[in-house]
Amino acid sequence: MTEAGAWWTLLAAPAMLLALAGLAAAGHAVLAARDAGRPVGPAAMVRPFTGVPRALLAQPRRLPAPDVLLWRAGVITVPVAAVLSTLVIPFGGVTVADLSVGVVWFNAMEVLTWAGLWLAGWGPDAAFPLVGGYRFLAQGLAYELPLMFALISAATGAQSLRVGDIATSQQGLWYAVWMPVAFIVYLAGVLAFSFLGPFAYPAGRDLAGGVMSETSGADRLVLRAGRWLWLAAGAAMAVPLFLGGGAGPGMPAWAWQAVKTLLVLAALVLALRRLPMIRADRYVEFAWVVLIPLTIVQVLVPALVDLNR
Amino acid sequence: MDVTGLVLRAAAARPHVLLATLPGGTAARLEAERVLRLRDWPLAATPAQADVLLVAGPDCPDLRAAVNRLWQDLPAPRALVHAPGAGGVEPALETGQARLGSRADQRPRAEEPGRTTRGGDAGGPHHQEPRGGEDHGEGHAGNGGSHDDGDGDHHHAAEARHGDSQAGPQDHHDGPEGHDGGNGGTGRGHAGHEGHGGHEGHGGHEGHGGHGGGGMEMPGGLPMADQGEDRDGLTLDQLHVPLGPLLADWPAGLTVRVTLQGDVVREAEVEEPPWSDITGREAFWVQPWLRAAAGEPVGVGEAARRRAAAHLDSLARLLSVAGWPAEAIVAKRLRDDLLDGAPGASVAPRLERFARRVGRSRTLAWMTRGIGQVSTEEAREAGVSGPAARAGGDVTDRYRQWLADIRRDVGRLEGPSPLRPAVDESPRGCWRDDDPPSAALIALLPNLLTGAELAAARLIVASLDPDPDELAAARGTVGAHD
Repeated sequence: MTEAGAWWTLLAAPAMLLALAGLAAAGHAVLAARDAGRPVGPAAMVRPFTGVPRALLAQPRRLPAPDVLLWRAGVITVPVAAVLSTLVIPFGGVTVADLSVGVVWFNAMEVLTWAGLWLAGWGPDAAFPLVGGYRFLAQGLAYELPLMFALISAATGAQSLRVGDIATSQQGLWYAVWMPVAFIVYLAGVLAFSFLGPFAYPAGRDLAGGVMSETSGADRLVLRAGRWLWLAAGAAMAVPLFLGGGAGPGMPAWAWQAVKTLLVLAALVLALRRLPMIRADRYVEFAWVVLIPLTIVQVLVPALVDLNR
Repeated sequence: MDVTGLVLRAAAARPHVLLATLPGGTAARLEAERVLRLRDWPLAATPAQADVLLVAGPDCPDLRAAVNRLWQDLPAPRALVHAPGAGGVEPALETGQARLGSRADQRPRAEEPGRTTRGGDAGGPHHQEPRGGEDHGEGHAGNGGSHDDGDGDHHHAAEARHGDSQAGPQDHHDGPEGHDGGNGGTGRGHAGHEGHGGHEGHGGHEGHGGHGGGGMEMPGGLPMADQGEDRDGLTLDQLHVPLGPLLADWPAGLTVRVTLQGDVVREAEVEEPPWSDITGREAFWVQPWLRAAAGEPVGVGEAARRRAAAHLDSLARLLSVAGWPAEAIVAKRLRDDLLDGAPGASVAPRLERFARRVGRSRTLAWMTRGIGQVSTEEAREAGVSGPAARAGGDVTDRYRQWLADIRRDVGRLEGPSPLRPAVDESPRGCWRDDDPPSAALIALLPNLLTGAELAAARLIVASLDPDPDELAAARGTVGAHD
């Protein structure tokens, strides 16, 4: 069973998320080093983190007519929402806030990044970031509804919106096994709300970085950290939703959960390197014509199973 | 203990480099990309993300203003270095890193009333004066010689546009008033901020009011957007954005002025290449053909190697624009190995894997289908003769054609027979001095870009990948014949 954690879990959860995000970034750097023909080793892993002193030192950006307040607010919203989303994820039977509507909380935090990224694009008052911000809205229109149905599938299967209940209700059979569509759509959604890899459309190189193109220094660091934090949060949430949480033989729950989370994260990092960017103008069509009907059918499956129980 | 120095050096461990390739700077760019790849120094896409501005290629007076504006936009700590040729790249990068990590070079402007470090800055042969400006003569009068002071005022009206386009050349046409002179262009670039009435409150924020052509007081001194009918019959704001000449993953020196509504290109117009002085500009990709045309013996193998590398370079650019950096770096690595003289057998397995992944990627094909349709007949009519004509189709067909050509060429790297420049195709088509193949590719652009979404427009340009250096080379040879 899940129980609410002591006060210190409020500090431990962000720290663990940060560590997880760091691991993902390091793993990504190692794969990049291999592809580029550089030596692969611990040195390659820590390379991305040299950007931290660099970012802290850099001069903040000054533009002719920026909306500084909204810009900053948008930039900060992205990582903060990622951290907040993890409050409902149980880890080894403990969660920071055992909300009865945990799934909705996670979803709500994820939707906050819509506002965050759009504001981050609006704020600098320049063409490419603005286009990038709107691109995220278009991308959101495409990925959000299928993602919601995927989340609802798991919740319907457990007849509860409490994340801990969803994890424990998968005794014997993971939801990933009998709700594969929901699982895959959820993972795609994770890449989409962390705007990485195939869903890097709002920050595309064709827009010279889109929403990121005018940020520098600490702002940029925060925004980039936000991407990896979201990836880590999404991977962590996948485990209680679809992979049975901490259930498993021979090891304590927290160990199983850590192993599963790392495996999902590794799969996501591999996937984001294997696919080219998917433009929302084409993805929207696919999402609405194919994914939404598929995920609705997917929700029907656990609903019918529950009715016949 | 020198904490500031320590932090500066730590921050300079992995500088992000903004590469500004000047016309004729292909060799320097390739060398820079190779070195940066091996050192793991990321290539920045905009000045905001960069620490070092590396200007690659022979000095080009026409683009000085554009380069300068990039430099103004780099947040401190920063360094500007120049590598006229491939040999100058490594030392220039070393200089840049050293300067980033040195306190004397990064001291805020306020501390040095005179140009105290100027003499010291002239240390190496391959860089320009780092403090921004006055070396470049025009465009800076009246700024009191200081551009670095807190990065506040003079240039920021020009700024937002940079992120967009990394600088267009028009400042250059606009009179003696330096950055402010560029505001006509800037305002237009900025006009995209569709009626941000909410921004009014920021008017005069930077003391910049009144530069806009309309004479109205506007946020940041920028005029409001003009409006026009869009393709759906709605009246939408129009935003004039120059793409190029120094945009990342873009043909060096090419400038396309686009009118955007939302992110749809309403109008596109290719600007005449601005450079008047073509001496010292080499067209790297067609070198073997130029040499063969001049009577030098050149082997078919060498030409095949150059052609394969050119296609890999184009592919790397296309993949980068298409948002597949992982495969773009693989293409660049293959290209560098080929140019390095690697035997075909050692490259072939990696090339096969790359060609399979990219050529058979359904996602990439799905994203590029139907974009930039040019049938073989249309292409031939327009005078296009290379892979773009043979592919006859959309972006997907063109990159698959490149892949097929690369595989064929890598099998022929050891061909001993002499190159016949009139028969053997150069990377972008049959080489003719009076009508280089890239000229026809560039001529295709305005029609193809009109009506395309911005991302599609970038894909179209990358899939045709005209090489403006060819124009200069052709002019050079024609000039020599006269």
